[in-house]
Amino acid sequence: MSLRRHPVAGALALVVVGFLWIPILAVAVNSINQSSLMVSWGGATVHWYSLALHDPNVRTGLTTTIEIALGSTLVSLVIAVSGALWWRRAPARARAVYDAMVYARIILPEVVFATALFFLFLKARFPLGILAIIVGHSVWNSAYAAVIIQARLVGLDPAIEEAAADLGATPWRAFRRVTFAALLPAIIAGGLLTFTFSFDDVVTSYFLGGNSATPLPLVLFGMIRFRITPEINAIGVMVMLFTVTLMGVAVAASTLVGSVGRGRRDALAELYGQ
Amino acid sequence: MNGESSVRLSGVEKRFGDLVAVRSVDLDIAAGEFFSVIGPSGCGKTTTLRLIAGFERPTQGMIEIAGREVTGLPPYRRPVNTVFQSYALFPHLDVFENVAFGLREARVRRAELRRRVAEAISLAQLDGRERAKPRQLSGGQQQRVALARALVNRPEVLLLDEPLGALDLKLRKEMQVQLKDLQREVGVTFVYVTHDQEEAFSMSDRVAVMDHGLLEQVGRPEDVYRRPATPFVASFVGLANRLAGRLVGAAPGERYEVDLDHLGRRSAHGPPGLAAGAAVTVVVRPEDLRLAPATGPQGGPAAATVIDVAFLGAHRMVRLDAGALGQLVAIGQGQSTVVPDDKVVLSWADDDAWVVAAAAQP
Repeated sequence: MSLRRHPVAGALALVVVGFLWIPILAVAVNSINQSSLMVSWGGATVHWYSLALHDPNVRTGLTTTIEIALGSTLVSLVIAVSGALWWRRAPARARAVYDAMVYARIILPEVVFATALFFLFLKARFPLGILAIIVGHSVWNSAYAAVIIQARLVGLDPAIEEAAADLGATPWRAFRRVTFAALLPAIIAGGLLTFTFSFDDVVTSYFLGGNSATPLPLVLFGMIRFRITPEINAIGVMVMLFTVTLMGVAVAASTLVGSVGRGRRDALAELYGQ
Repeated sequence: MNGESSVRLSGVEKRFGDLVAVRSVDLDIAAGEFFSVIGPSGCGKTTTLRLIAGFERPTQGMIEIAGREVTGLPPYRRPVNTVFQSYALFPHLDVFENVAFGLREARVRRAELRRRVAEAISLAQLDGRERAKPRQLSGGQQQRVALARALVNRPEVLLLDEPLGALDLKLRKEMQVQLKDLQREVGVTFVYVTHDQEEAFSMSDRVAVMDHGLLEQVGRPEDVYRRPATPFVASFVGLANRLAGRLVGAAPGERYEVDLDHLGRRSAHGPPGLAAGAAVTVVVRPEDLRLAPATGPQGGPAAATVIDVAFLGAHRMVRLDAGALGQLVAIGQGQSTVVPDDKVVLSWADDDAWVVAAAAQP
């Protein structure tokens, strides 16, 4: 869209882009700002990064976050892959129910699931903590993974497994060499996406963490409630870089490993659009 | 063809719930034969192929391949390979790995695997495309990958399920010739399923015609065309004029005499054992039907009226209204003189007429 031809829309777009990016830019700038008040430029420093990296709270928070993200990614992928395999051969009505359940997990507010699980775990005397958070994250993460993996599975000719059997592959070999191998790009993409979602989650973690588990986003949340220091900016930038790198890897993986009849743009659309 | 049996089905039946897809089929396909199964969609031909491949288990009956019973064996234990209608190429593997798939499953040594894959790839004229993914190939190329992937395993029998169905007409004709040449070259038994009778006729040593799960006829293409066993075969295989009549009795020279309504009594060949008085159908191919102008009242009653004449290039096709016998079609070079509404007399050589028992038809 050309600015000259649509001046109002163009200006509006600029404002929106500004609102989105200026705070992020401010975080990045202040993460190397010597002035701890963050209102003026006091010269460049890596002090806040060093502080963040040596902060024991941040370090345990990061470990907790990665544990949760890995656990939830694994659980989500297992659910999504087995669900998708069932889905392919299921009757139409059962499929519709399954699809509705998947989309419900994406659409319904996270806080609803978090509250419900919180009460369920209390009733069942299931201890709050890392395990509880993994379960909570898997509720919606498995849905995102399911959408991505199913999209790929629909594009696969159902006859390829028969072809594998015809060529001498036992059912297990056929699954490994054909079905799973053909789905691998989608599994990688889905895995990285769910890892990222889990990585920056606040709501579910807040409800289900109890006293024992405080993942990084909650550490940050706790920090700004008591004191605002440029250390937070440094952490923010690092998390941001980490997430962007992960997304980059996801896109690269889904194109490089050989997406099924799609190009890079479709892989991107698949990753972000659905 | 060395006369050995390659595929044998004995009393094979397949039910899906209430639906009987294949009923009591007996079939004996010789080694090295190009055998086609034709029939309309839903006739059971694909199910028959899937039974041989092992994707379906028969409800009843026995299947033997190369003299060994395989009825209960899964597809991966059968010495057959399939070319699928959709090709079913592995999208994540390149051409080389697609072709090598079966050899890797069979744990063929590296050097031999390379050699055989290269051989199959050049047989399929895919040299230079080894590293291409299936989606980067044209339909014809994909089809040839599917063929190479199956043949590289040197199966006893190659099963082909409408392998040319997805190609356009010109490519189809080319591939028909290539397939036939290939089959002659490798000497593998081909079992070829198609709904296109012309395709089957041009390539096959023998064809089987199926309808409603039943084998209607098995024979050489010319026999099936010239001497159809049932009215269904007569009408499915090429254009046919089917004249309803009543059998009067046997005539000299292994013929029958048939009363054909207002066309009078005619004699025709037919299978042995037809009883006098039976309702029969006389099959006359359009190219065998001769038309002569009905000349005046003394020439007898006009047998048919010309409805229209279509120009087909090499010849003309004349549609006729033969009163109680329905609409007829005549094709040939000699039909050029008639015009619509002409009254004509119909004739044909006795040898070109074939009697079949009228089936209990809807």
